Formats: sequence, structure tokens, C-alpha cells
Amino acid sequence: MIRSLDDVSRIAGEKGPKKLAVLAPEDEEFMLAVKRSWEAGHIEPVLIGNSEKMEKVGGKVGFDISRFERIIENDRQEISDLGIGMLFSGKLSIVSKGQIPTSYIYRSIIRAEGKAASGMTVSVISFWEIPGLGHLTAFTDTGVSIMPDYRTKVNILKNAVFLYHLLGYEKPRIVAISGQRKFGGTLDSYRDYKLLMKAAEAGEFGECEVIHATSFAEIFLGPRGRLRDYRDIDIEKMPHIILVPRLDTGNILCKLDFFLDVTRCSVAVTSRGAVCIPSRSDFSDSIVTELAMGVVVADRLEKEVR
Amino acid sequence: MAGTFADIIEAAKKKAVKRRLAISSVKKPDMEIISRAAREGLVVPLLVGDGKAAEALVKKSQLTSLEHEIVDVKDVGGALRTAMELVREGRADMLMQGADDLKKFMKAVLDAKTGLLKGKLASYISVFQLPTRDKLVLVTDTFVNNYPGVTEKQLILEHAIKLAGLLGIDAPKVAVLAAIEQVNPSIPSTLDAAVLSKMSERKQFGNASVEGPLDIDCALSHVAAGRKGLKSVVTGNVDIYLVPDIESGYLLSQSLVFFGKMEMAGVLMGLTKPVILNLPFVLRENRLVEIALASLI
Repeated sequence: MIRSLDDVSRIAGEKGPKKLAVLAPEDEEFMLAVKRSWEAGHIEPVLIGNSEKMEKVGGKVGFDISRFERIIENDRQEISDLGIGMLFSGKLSIVSKGQIPTSYIYRSIIRAEGKAASGMTVSVISFWEIPGLGHLTAFTDTGVSIMPDYRTKVNILKNAVFLYHLLGYEKPRIVAISGQRKFGGTLDSYRDYKLLMKAAEAGEFGECEVIHATSFAEIFLGPRGRLRDYRDIDIEKMPHIILVPRLDTGNILCKLDFFLDVTRCSVAVTSRGAVCIPSRSDFSDSIVTELAMGVVVADRLEKEVR
Repeated sequence: MAGTFADIIEAAKKKAVKRRLAISSVKKPDMEIISRAAREGLVVPLLVGDGKAAEALVKKSQLTSLEHEIVDVKDVGGALRTAMELVREGRADMLMQGADDLKKFMKAVLDAKTGLLKGKLASYISVFQLPTRDKLVLVTDTFVNNYPGVTEKQLILEHAIKLAGLLGIDAPKVAVLAAIEQVNPSIPSTLDAAVLSKMSERKQFGNASVEGPLDIDCALSHVAAGRKGLKSVVTGNVDIYLVPDIESGYLLSQSLVFFGKMEMAGVLMGLTKPVILNLPFVLRENRLVEIALASLI
């Protein structure tokens, strides 16, 4: 079982290098991350983007990009379509977002899934490594579905449970969080929570354990508990998979790594492999980890018949 | 300018007049905080409920030697109604939830006819003390409104700007949060944020600088915002975070408590008199800060 991002890096070193398309590595942090991942033996990059910008940032971070396959393209959507097209045609195992708005990539993936008639709901899983916690925790969907309905949430959870199984978690603990309070009516997210928990218990998501809570207060304090001391917070109660009610919520919570002592790593699950989704504001350390996660997921997907 | 919870308490203590705090259905765990608030000179507690039970609690607490009042209410469930009357009629200056059921308490407070609502809506502000430096940040609305539209968000923001002013933050920097920092017509929160940001440009929020939409990384980090091509005085130094909806607000405030171990105190705004809730993820000692916050309003 992969318990930490150190495990992820170690396994990426063992299983790499994997061929990975980087979409618009036109920023120093992204190019530095590509350089470091290549030096660590995780990836063999295919660089897609603006020639001049890639050369310039490559020079700045001391990375000779002339030895790698490069595809010169300036149009953002075209860059994204090219990379995702290579993933879906089996030319490479992983794609990573570079300095390009994520919406272009999701558009490419959704189109490619449509063409492949896979029926796949594309979703993003953002892992958190929390110091002192013996497992990875993940928020989903943090990238694609703005206001997912119940059916979409089912598929989002299936993707996450599948990914956790790939990472070696036999029975991940799942929770569907909500803004439901003891007043203010019943939120749709709470209705969905009730249905999802029933579905999970009926085995719709495969092997997993359901946590009956809809907020962090309920997870850590129980339904009637009270916070008395921060030292009483038992972080081991943190679930493996946290289904968020909406995109706004997911994105706000998962990117609290900019403030909290946690490390984030995001991956989009597609029917053909992993797409690493670093934020355009991420720094090279975190991008290297995200690429390593992509390598590990790709490696395990290759062995898995879904 | 208040930068810590201790500053809030000090500011409240400097108020010339002690405020009368009505607390309904008081129980033992609240007595220590009420006694402390009285000892610090913040309030004169009015304990509303079963007189004999209240008297017994007072005898076992430090409140016994401090100014206080017991309002005996015989009928079961009448304590909250009486406490509300005291506040409405001006015999108490603020209301604190004791052991009342939260749903009943909120229903009573927000009742259009008999409650304490001043205008169209009330909102809840979570005030956090940053662990790394002396700075308070306000996050709103984290408890009351489920899915506010732009009209409601304007009011919620005005409440927060008012509270910031009371804390000495005269020109607050406001981040209107959304999933992304770009305006996307498919994501309603980005549209609302853009409207509020434009209103700020036209000085409709006074001295406040309102920036939105901002994703949380841009709001938290000036450098991160710069890498996304965003330049603003708000990024990396936010005083007020306006969240898109209750799903984000309620869970964000709890994330800061449980993962960030940040001290939190909250207060309801938009009412004729300040109201203090009893939320399970607020440390009991921070209820003193909540009393102090209410005293400042």
C-alpha cells in the first residue's frame, strides 16, 4: 500500500522512466520540475508548446531540451488536444498540464472520451499527505464537475475507489461531505450523501468502508461531540476519500496546502491513463511529486484490466 | 487594530458600558466562560431558565460574587422565548445560546416577526487568529445562508466590512473565493465575484478592496497569484474571505480548525442585537472572545 508521497517517488524511480507529454512547459517552475523528474528517472518528456518560450525557460533552469521530442504549437487548445490525443492513441502513458489553464485539458479529455465512447466520467483526485497520518487522503472531484448530480457523484466515487485500489488500499474509507447543518433545510448534497452511503454499502463502488459523517466536525468529534483541545484531534480518523459537494468547495479545500502543513498532488483519471493536474501556481517540488504519482498510476494501470 | 483574540477582549473591556448578556438554558459548561466574561468586566449575565437550577450553578461558580441576574422561567421551553423578549425589549443587549437546540434557537432569532433580524438577512462570520503573525482574518458566510446570490453576497460582505471596521481594519482587503481565478459563465461563483469586484472598483464598499474571482491559492499567496498573472493588493494579505456558498464556508471554517488548528470565534451579523451561537467546533475558551466580539458590535 502506498502510504506517502515518498513511497510514490520511490516507486516512480523503480518503474520509470515513462513517456510523458508536458503541455506548455513555458514557465521555470514547470520546466524545472520536468528536469528534476527526468534526472530522477521518472519520465521521458515530450514537450509540447511554444518553441521560443520552452527554449528560454529550459536555458534558465539549465535543461538542454534539444535531446527530447518537441512538438511546436502555440494554440492552447491545440497543445492540449495533441497531448491528450497521444495518450488516447497509446503513444505515451501520461500527460501533464504545464502553464496552461486547466479548462483546455478537460475539454480535450472529455472530447477524447466521447470519441472513444468510454462512458467515463472524468474527475480529478487531489491527494493530501498530512504529517503524522499513515495514509494518503484525497478530495474529489476537485477539477471537472461544477455541480455534480447524484449519478455523476457515483461515477466520481467509483473513479476514486478504483484509484485507491490501484494504490494498494483494499478497503478505502469514504465520506461525502456537505454544508448540512442542524438548521437551514436539507441540502441536495445531504440527500446525495444518504443515497451514496446506501449505494456504497450495497457494494456499488467495490470494496470500501463508509463513514457516516458529513463534516469534519462530525468526522473528528462524532455527531454530538465538542472540541475541547486541539491535542484531542485524532488525525487517524481522516478518511481516505472525501467526496466534495461542488467544484468550488473541492478546489478551495484541496488547495489549502498553500496555507496548511500538507502536501497536495492531483491526478485526473481517464479511461486511458493518468493526467497530472498541477496548479499553474504550484512550485517545482510539488509538480515533481505530481509527475511521480502519474508514473505510479500509469504503471499500475498498465497491469490492471479495468 | 486588533491582531489577536487578546486584542479583541482588551478592546471590549475598554467599552464604557458593560453590556447585559441574556443566556438561555444555561448549563454547567458555560458557567466558567460567563463567569470569566463577568469578571473581565465585559458583561452582566442574565441567566434565563429554571431559577433554582441557575442559582445552584451560580453558587458553584465565581459568578456568585459578581454582578448577575437570574430570570426565573417556570415553563419548559420558555427560557429562549423570555431571553428573546429581554433582548427585543432592550432589557438585554445581546443574546447567547446556552443549551438550546440549535434549530429552535436559529428559528427564533431569524423569525421575521418575533426574531431579531434587522434587514433582509443575517450572516455568520468566523474570525480566525493567524498562528504565524498577529493578524485576524474573517471568513463569511460560514453558517447561515445556503446558496446566496450576488444580492445576498453584497449584504454578507457589508456585514463583514462592518465587523472589520470594528476591529480597526478600516480598509479591508477582500478575496471573493471561487474555484478558479478567471470569470467563467458556467461557474456562477465567478460571476458573482466579478460583480462584487466591479462594485468595489466603483467604491460601493467604501475603502474595502474587493478582488474576485480568486481561487484560494491566489488569495493566500501573492507569489502564486503572480504566477497566474494576477496582480492585486489583496492577494497574499487578505482580511476577509467571502466564500461562494455554505458548502464551501462551513467546511472551510472547519478545515482551518481541524487541520490548521486555528483559533476560531464567530458572531452572527445583520441582527438588531448581537447573537452568539454555541458551535461544537469552537473551543469553549473562545466563547469569551465571541462575547467580546458581540460587545464591540
